[in-house]
Amino acid sequence: MAEAERCLLCHDAPCSKGCPASTNPGEFIRKLRLRNVMGAIRTVKENNILGGACGVLCPTARLCEKECSATGIDRTIRIGKLQRFLVEHSWKIGFNPLSGGRFELPPPAAGRVAVIGGGPAGLSCAAELARNGCRVTVFEERAEAGGVLRYGVPGFRLSTEFLKKELEDVKALGVTFKTSRAVGPGGPRGLLKKGFRAVFVGIGLWAPIRPFGGEQGAGVISSVSFLELFRRGKPAPRKLCSGKTVAVIGGGSVAIDCARTALRLGAKDVYLVYRRSFSQMPAEEDERLEALNEGVHFLLLNQPTGYARDKRGGLAGVKLVRTRLSGKDASGRRKPVDIPGSDWVLEAGACIEAVGNKPEEKSISPGKLISADPATGKTSAAGIYAGGDIVRGPGTVVQSVADGKAAAKAILKQLKAAIC
Amino acid sequence: MLKKVDLSVKFCGVTFPNPFMLSSSPVSNSAEMIARAFDAGWGGVAYKTLVTDRIPITHPSPRMHGCNYDGKRLVGLQNVEQTTDRGLKPNLRDIAYLKKHYPKHIVMASIMGFSNREWADLAKAATDAGSDMLELNFSCPHMAVEGSGAKVGQANDLVRKFTETARNVTKLPLVAKLTPNVTDMNEPAMAAKAGGADGISAINTVAGLSEVNLDNFIPQPDVFGKGSISGYSGPAIKPIGLRFIAQLAKNKELGLPLSGIGGIETWVDALEYILLGATTVQVTTGVIHYGYGIVGEMIEGLSDYMAQRKIARVADLVGKAVKNVHETSDFNVRRQGIARYDLDRCVGCGQCYTVCRDAGGSALDWNAKKRRPALTEAKCLSCMVCSFVCPVERLITFKEMPKTWKRRKTVTLG
Repeated sequence: MAEAERCLLCHDAPCSKGCPASTNPGEFIRKLRLRNVMGAIRTVKENNILGGACGVLCPTARLCEKECSATGIDRTIRIGKLQRFLVEHSWKIGFNPLSGGRFELPPPAAGRVAVIGGGPAGLSCAAELARNGCRVTVFEERAEAGGVLRYGVPGFRLSTEFLKKELEDVKALGVTFKTSRAVGPGGPRGLLKKGFRAVFVGIGLWAPIRPFGGEQGAGVISSVSFLELFRRGKPAPRKLCSGKTVAVIGGGSVAIDCARTALRLGAKDVYLVYRRSFSQMPAEEDERLEALNEGVHFLLLNQPTGYARDKRGGLAGVKLVRTRLSGKDASGRRKPVDIPGSDWVLEAGACIEAVGNKPEEKSISPGKLISADPATGKTSAAGIYAGGDIVRGPGTVVQSVADGKAAAKAILKQLKAAIC
Repeated sequence: MLKKVDLSVKFCGVTFPNPFMLSSSPVSNSAEMIARAFDAGWGGVAYKTLVTDRIPITHPSPRMHGCNYDGKRLVGLQNVEQTTDRGLKPNLRDIAYLKKHYPKHIVMASIMGFSNREWADLAKAATDAGSDMLELNFSCPHMAVEGSGAKVGQANDLVRKFTETARNVTKLPLVAKLTPNVTDMNEPAMAAKAGGADGISAINTVAGLSEVNLDNFIPQPDVFGKGSISGYSGPAIKPIGLRFIAQLAKNKELGLPLSGIGGIETWVDALEYILLGATTVQVTTGVIHYGYGIVGEMIEGLSDYMAQRKIARVADLVGKAVKNVHETSDFNVRRQGIARYDLDRCVGCGQCYTVCRDAGGSALDWNAKKRRPALTEAKCLSCMVCSFVCPVERLITFKEMPKTWKRRKTVTLG
């Protein structure tokens, strides 16, 4: 509440224009400020079924909070924290604005829709469809829904309990979940034949990109496997890290998550190896600072070139070559170039590769992104829609939420047109 | 799913879409403004006080001063605003326009005569323009025209006389707007009733003086070197407004419907007025602070409150708290309690220790090493000042003690 008091309640609130998913902080903070707490919850959740997860995970510093007028006085309103507070408060008081807490009846049944993939895009699409009267079935390949929220983000950032409650909000809308149910390449068309009027594909990117081609071997793991095994409570990640020097390759949010997880699993030292400089890292500033504060060693301006092995084939270290920054590359960042003769080996007992993900080979879209209209999620196939990372490549949770919702709106339009 | 609630209320026989009204003030100055307010959701308006064109009104400049408390803005608002400074004709045209375009919204024209004849003329003119009801302004505390405003509201015979005058020329419901700058509002309220009033609005602003400039000794607002005692409004005066509404509601002889005014910004404030007997509520300072849009939060907030408690109509809430307002002599002082501390959540600021020692029962000891207070229960006066300064929500709460429990007597020195 003290934080809401700081809000300037701007006319034509600029924060409300900073969100890919059209979240309206100007409205929900104003409602909170004027003691319309349930209305504030309604504003968050009606717009974004994953408002809680976004409140926790969103890179607010470069979205809504970047636009905040209060920065002209001192510092931004912590919008993400307020959003998270509202969602947690809704669970505390048992108020779900999309089911028990809504005033108007849901519109009459509009047809059955299938959603493939229970991650942020799929959940958002399912929720938007369900609250508009569709009967939605979510097909999830893994044992539980949540996608990257469950298997890609460590629990110290987004707790299992938190995720469970947010998923219950989706279920409360009447969405059916079929988990451990893989849908192959022919799947979407098959589902259309089975009576689903439309299919949304939000399967994300789950195949790790290997920094050195196929080479991996003992002591090396991909970020995808590492975080998933950790989240599932398996012993392998701890065994890999405990008491060892761990190298993490990469400079994005996932690399940071892996490094911080490795520290928590009892690693002696964790080196984050990144070929560019600190300010060029794709990871958010607050994540980088937290990792630094926790004791992750940032090994910058070093390009990994391969693994050093001991006599028995175990990992001895990561081969590195020092880099310097030269002129700008296509991304507008200064490009790292190797410094000849500066090769060295960072001794490490384990290495986590976190340089990005790509589409899985055994999936609806084998090895490649799906082409879809970003505004509607429409693919070239009638009745099949797609969104989230499988369309855009790696992005934020909130962007996937926005995609799911946009596709849901297009699907509703399609269903309505069919009825008329 | 929540059942849709009906926010409409019947006030002096007139049906309002909801109890939320703009009070007579700069926020209800013209049809252009009020139309936007209706679009935002306001159910009715007390149209800015009409006067005849006989005595021209020119406003002092500047006419308002905002009062802050610590970092919080507009806790109170000091103003020397007068009645409308627009001509009578344009105002009447605006009223007619509003009724034509917003037939379901309620326009209550506020009027103020500077003579008996003027009260009659204005009442008739406002009636003819299509007003749904009239509000008789007996209460502006800083009128620049001698013998008007609150001066009338403080003279019961004039309240009665001018009400009668209006009653004689119109059949519309008459609502007397009264001043809190009296000892007992029931006296002018009864006078208004005797004169034929159908309802009471209260309170107008409290006569106040909010701030003095330390460099030139001029009270604010500084009207070219002169300050004045004038009307004070806003959240700071809500307790005073609630008090008067409760006193009017408890007066069985009066028995008139009430419109509550004073420091309302949220649905919670509005509901407090309603529970203490108001059927409609009126807002100005809240709009000055946040704009017309606050009514959206009032509507949604009150609707959720009612839906969750399965209350179908606002009328079922009106006056629900009145029976719980007692004379202090009715309190059962045999039951006693103390402050209870949940020290697991204590942050160690020690403010409780300071206030208990200097303003309470000196019932706390301070463990400097642990930075925690320790309560001697027998010394606690249950004044609860410690809980008012504690920064942790509900860390200090009140608990009743058994009948056998005895409080230790205060130490006597000398």
